[in-house]
Amino acid sequence: MTAGTTEIRPSGEPHLVETHQTGMPTVMVGMLLFIASEVMFFGGLFATYFNARASVAPEPWEPPPGGELDMALAAVLTAILISSSFTMQFGVWAIRRGDAGKLKMWTGITLALGVLFLAGQLYDYSQLGFGIADGVFGTVFYTLTGFHGAHVFGGAVGLTIILARAMQGQFSGRNHIAVEAVSIYWHFVDVVWIAVFSTIYLLR
Amino acid sequence: MATTTLEPQAGAPAYRRSWVLDWLTTVDHKKIGILYIVNGFLFFFAAGILALVVRSELAVPGLQLVDQDTFNQAFTMHGTIMLFLFIIPTLSGFANYIVPLQLGAPDMAFPRINALSFWLLPLGGILIFSGYLFGGAAAEGWTGYAPLTSDRFSPGTGTDLWIIGLALVGTASILGAVNFITTIFKMRAPGMTLFRMPIFVWTVLVTAVLILLATPVLTAGLIALFIDRNYGGSFFDPSVGGNPILWQHIFWFFGHPEVYIVILPAMGVVSEVLPVFSRKPLFGYKAFVFATIGIGLLSFSVWAHHMFTTGAVFLPFFSFMTALIAIPTGIKMFNWLGTLYRGKLMLTTPMLFALGFISMFLIGGISGVMLASPPIDFHVQDTYFVVAHLHYVFFGGSVFGVFAAAYYWFPKMTGRRLNEPLGKVHFWIHFIGFNLAFFPMHQLGLSGMPRRVADYSPDAGWTYLNLASTVGAFMIAVSVIPFLINVVASLINGEPAGDDPWEGNTLEWATTSPPPPYNFDRLPPVHSERPLFFLTHGHGHVAERPDDLEEHSEDDVERRGGAA
Amino acid sequence: MSDTAFGFILLGVAMAVVLGIVFAITTRYGARPKPPAGVHLPPPSYLPVVLSVGAAIMGLGLVFKPDDQFANLFLLIPGLVIFIGGCIAWVRAANHEWRDTEHGSHGDGAAH
Repeated sequence: MTAGTTEIRPSGEPHLVETHQTGMPTVMVGMLLFIASEVMFFGGLFATYFNARASVAPEPWEPPPGGELDMALAAVLTAILISSSFTMQFGVWAIRRGDAGKLKMWTGITLALGVLFLAGQLYDYSQLGFGIADGVFGTVFYTLTGFHGAHVFGGAVGLTIILARAMQGQFSGRNHIAVEAVSIYWHFVDVVWIAVFSTIYLLR
Repeated sequence: MATTTLEPQAGAPAYRRSWVLDWLTTVDHKKIGILYIVNGFLFFFAAGILALVVRSELAVPGLQLVDQDTFNQAFTMHGTIMLFLFIIPTLSGFANYIVPLQLGAPDMAFPRINALSFWLLPLGGILIFSGYLFGGAAAEGWTGYAPLTSDRFSPGTGTDLWIIGLALVGTASILGAVNFITTIFKMRAPGMTLFRMPIFVWTVLVTAVLILLATPVLTAGLIALFIDRNYGGSFFDPSVGGNPILWQHIFWFFGHPEVYIVILPAMGVVSEVLPVFSRKPLFGYKAFVFATIGIGLLSFSVWAHHMFTTGAVFLPFFSFMTALIAIPTGIKMFNWLGTLYRGKLMLTTPMLFALGFISMFLIGGISGVMLASPPIDFHVQDTYFVVAHLHYVFFGGSVFGVFAAAYYWFPKMTGRRLNEPLGKVHFWIHFIGFNLAFFPMHQLGLSGMPRRVADYSPDAGWTYLNLASTVGAFMIAVSVIPFLINVVASLINGEPAGDDPWEGNTLEWATTSPPPPYNFDRLPPVHSERPLFFLTHGHGHVAERPDDLEEHSEDDVERRGGAA
Repeated sequence: MSDTAFGFILLGVAMAVVLGIVFAITTRYGARPKPPAGVHLPPPSYLPVVLSVGAAIMGLGLVFKPDDQFANLFLLIPGLVIFIGGCIAWVRAANHEWRDTEHGSHGDGAAH
């Protein structure tokens, strides 16, 4: 083996690669992949829910004695979150048209709805009559809704950041990738809630 | 001889940074790769010492050295550290260093998140190890089965530290996976279609997808366990409606893709090394890619083969799927054999480790197919047969891959060559020691020796095999010494490597050793999966000329004119 | 402190010392060449270390929790402060770099 005397002469002009931004922007790819991992995380939590539900048979699957699920409140929370997805999307459409003012408005409304959801969730927790340590129903209920709530909180933080950046005038019709990324994260959080709600409250 | 020179731009100040700060704040994928590798080897040594503790105790019957609790901590920490803090991070480190270079990219897609992924590792590892400071490390096996890991049976802090440390390490992996996938899809050099990527990049891609999808499930399980232990949860406690088997399902749904996460990058390394030292392209590139993807997909369908004996598993399905996954693995074996066939073999140290990989992984794969069959598995589950299998695939596979990568890419990373004779000494002691340590375990398992036991009866007839195994373990430990001497001596005074000491095929050899911070001054044109081969050897081999090379670019004209 | 713990700490310190020596010997100093136009590489940052340390301290806060509380607040709160402070600094730094990039963003508008 000769010592390293291979000469490498790439010909042509010095040209270094500009990362070709064809197709989906890099940040969006990253966000979608991150969301994929979060889907799997919730998948794991849902697996614990369904396994617990199957395991307690032939006992009925229900909250512990003294506890009761508040279906009405959950339905209201669902409506709040679904509306917030709509308002988020209105904001995205606005900034795609270049309308930063409407972006600020819709983002603000989305953030308010998100905070309202979290407040409602905490209120629900205080009224339920059972805790995480009250048998397997309590454990899976609080774990599933609790981690969903944590993800809503994370989304709210993201919304706050893009609201602040929007107020500094950083977004335009051409440059607003952070808004797109936060918006799909917010839609993801909404979809997970629909799954949580359907599983815990509708399917039971 | 480097022809790509680094000319400091006029006006750029010469500066002297503190090297500590340099390494602490770096976001350069090359430095981060080295950090991963160094960190990985440190944990390798620590977990290796734990293995020596285990083997020393088991050499002869009787509890001579440690008590049972210490023994349990030793094998638990050995497994956890080796898998989560050595193998995956070290292979990740090589991937971090090499993948952007092989793609012709200046760095990873998200360089700062790349650094974050690294720094979570030593911190997670310290948390896991710190169990020793607080009454004892985790001692329930790296698989952490409930209810043994519940607060009722393992009340110590060590298990909690293990959980949280692993959560940090898992998060690091997931972030790394996002980074790799994005980089591979978005930052390839012009002309590098997916099917012109180096094979190593393909294996890293599939590995990253597995990490992305499997690790979060482990995170969910770890959180559930933590809630059970500390917040009165009932996930795994049957007395309040929970189910211990749930832990096994969650853990192994992650755990099985995990073992492919461990092996695929090593297979990628072997697939880089073999063509270079056989002077032939990889046989059946596309088949290999599809086999890798097939393994990735199938890996999610076999998890319950770790749970055959629970009675809670639909045996025919999982047995069938497990046997099925042997097929793409077998295809790869033939890819490698086909590459070697009629090649001009150069038995350098990386090549020896790659050949060692093929033969040792074959043995591990065969014992794996045996375990796929429930009738066999029912007899050898939780015996040393399984320990033999897992070490042949993890150690005979992945660790051999790590050393192949180390010897192959050390010149690129440091600009120095490792000493070949010393490397061969390392290889042979390592190879013989490895087989001495682990081959007897097949027989031990078949004759009934259970795993995770600190002691055994002198009448069982297991003594001599255990003794042999312990000798082998110490041989492995000794083999590390020539490696370390080689690394340190070569760093200080090794022969300069130049850009391309091995006459490689892929883009990392088209820049200096080590590369400049932004990797390439100029990129060679990419028209095949061996861009450097065509660059240095011209298009003389018409048969290998890619079909879609229609236009004659300036590059082509000049190269043909100046072809050697 | 158990013997095992002492042994590992000793080992860790020895390894760190050897490592430090190797790193010190092999670090080369000099001008750092600028990348060609079109390549954007973020500057070095201490924030990954900060966030990791913050996360680890938060983790310790959960591990060493007193039985009647959610977590060990003496560990959780400082960890949270470090972590969140680090996140804020990260977002601000990314924002800063975004604004400094020559012709605005390349269409993806984010420095990571």
